[in-house]
Amino acid sequence: MANPILQVENLQICVRKKPGVLILRGVSFHVNAGETLAIVGESGCGKSMTSLAIMGLLPDAVEKLSGTIRFKGRELPITDNRAMRKVRAAEIGMVFQEPMAALDPLYPVGKQVLEVIEEHEKLPREMAWARVIDLLTKVDLPNPETLAWSYPHKLSGGQLQRVVIAMALACNPDVLIADEPTTALDVTVQAQIMRLLKRLQRDTGVAIVLITHNLGLVAHTADRVMVMYAGNKAEEAPTRDLFLNPRHPYTRGLLDATPNPERASAQGGVLREIPGTVPSIADPMPGCRFAPRCANASELCRARFPEPTFEGAHGYACHHPVTDARV
Amino acid sequence: MKPIRRRFPWAFLAKRVAYGALAMLVIAIINFFLLKLAPGDAAEALAGQAGTADPAYIAQLRAQFGLDQPLLSQLWAFLVRLATLDLGYSYVFNERVSVLIFSRMPATLMLMGAAIVIAVIGGIVFGVTAARYANRWPDRVISFVALLLYGTPPYWIGLMMILIFAVTLGWTPTSGMENVLAFNTGWDRVVDIAHHLILPALAQSIFYLAIYIRLVRAGMLEVLSLDFIRVARAKGISERRLSYRHALRNAVLPLVTVVGTNVGNFLGGAVLTETVFSWPGVGRLMFDAMFQRDLNLLLSILVLSSFFVIVANLVVDLLYAIINPTVELK
Repeated sequence: MANPILQVENLQICVRKKPGVLILRGVSFHVNAGETLAIVGESGCGKSMTSLAIMGLLPDAVEKLSGTIRFKGRELPITDNRAMRKVRAAEIGMVFQEPMAALDPLYPVGKQVLEVIEEHEKLPREMAWARVIDLLTKVDLPNPETLAWSYPHKLSGGQLQRVVIAMALACNPDVLIADEPTTALDVTVQAQIMRLLKRLQRDTGVAIVLITHNLGLVAHTADRVMVMYAGNKAEEAPTRDLFLNPRHPYTRGLLDATPNPERASAQGGVLREIPGTVPSIADPMPGCRFAPRCANASELCRARFPEPTFEGAHGYACHHPVTDARV
Repeated sequence: MKPIRRRFPWAFLAKRVAYGALAMLVIAIINFFLLKLAPGDAAEALAGQAGTADPAYIAQLRAQFGLDQPLLSQLWAFLVRLATLDLGYSYVFNERVSVLIFSRMPATLMLMGAAIVIAVIGGIVFGVTAARYANRWPDRVISFVALLLYGTPPYWIGLMMILIFAVTLGWTPTSGMENVLAFNTGWDRVVDIAHHLILPALAQSIFYLAIYIRLVRAGMLEVLSLDFIRVARAKGISERRLSYRHALRNAVLPLVTVVGTNVGNFLGGAVLTETVFSWPGVGRLMFDAMFQRDLNLLLSILVLSSFFVIVANLVVDLLYAIINPTVELK
């Protein structure tokens, strides 16, 4: 079963020319073919930066300090824009957060899907266009022949996100990175988009990397979950395992901070928050970056960074893991 | 794949034509009174040229030109002539006004068109280059030169270009529109006129070129930071295609608007450029008409100029709607 298609090893990303200011502090993970890996964490924990690094789309203000990203066993030349163009969309597709801003307002949506196919495959125009219509049908858009000629401002957010998904899957990539694909959408539309992604995954076998801070979404869609905190991987586990038996105090805090009517009475009707704030990326603290906010923290936590411990598929980076299961 | 055609906005066009006609009427009336406020008239100017100040002769000329009529009936006569497209007779140049203007108009339109084309194409090419290499040396060079050109008086640039390219280097003629004595025909004549056109067109375009470079650069930098550019990059398309197909078309929209409002300035600038380069266009005719107090000729040129500006703006609005399909012309 374990067939890693994407492997990230010890990825470190820093602010350009400032190796001390780390955004990613050595993150390793893998994605198996056809599975869904969710990467969760709060804003600024480095989850989006991880996805941009895989696409070779890191902003100019940051750079890779060390680490490798392997796709199907070979290393991705993420700093070589020209070489990465052949990987983008053709092998790894990406869906972004804001569907309203994701399309060029001046071209019909069908043309923008067509552009992907024309870039990566030598196909006669008519065949490429037929594929565009086929893609728009597959993402459940009504009247695809007419809709293909609509301009983005005529479509709703949900429809636009379907177009973006069609664009990302146009060349049958093996991995689809979805960076907060439903955050900007209505709740009802969110569920539709996630169902669509799962169905497309069943049909095409594409592996999905779902980046989100919505734990509810994760519980319903992901096979495995990776929790990130302040540029580090805090915990990684199969979804069910993580929700029932979180070992890292941060994961536990995140889960407890999620509204849940069944637990509300047990917690006295108060939603538990995690005290304190995320440390600055420029803060050179030597130990666990969660220690200042952690109830279990000891001198050891503040002095030395905890190496990841694995119990089967469940890994965590903590000196004093949580042991009691959640109710 | 058949695109869905948009219908031509006839209603919009009809409305704009009506507004344009109204605007021209107002422009004609305002200019009529403005010019009447200036001291002196064509009769005095002609009598002065004839070397006489005989009141009887001047009065006779005035009666002949209709200048002795009450102001309002002169205005009415002028408007009626305009409406019937009969622009009258210039006693100063001894020629029908329409003949005078239309013999000069092609030269001015050619100069103006060449200047606009140079400014727009140059603005786009250099602006896009500057934006693609933002804050690196190509951008720094382009931005510095643009600032320099922006701050230099156009007539001085014109004179310096004559000095350098025509007098010192001998690459181009110093003035005029063509070598009349060569009696060129066909293609030779086109080449000859183009040769004469280079300097004045450059001189007239340079100020606007500088503005357009800065406008396109700023627009490109803004558009390149938008989300859809990152999405397009994630599609694997090339940086060049990204710049010209996606970023530029969005960034060029404000340029189109500005060029539309600048058409009038280009026409106004023609007076200066045509004088410096002895270009036989309407600008110089207007200059001469002003000195000769040839009110009728001057008014006709002004009204015709306003006609061209109004038409140019209409064309720009239609063009804008073509470039930006989210705009609906109503």
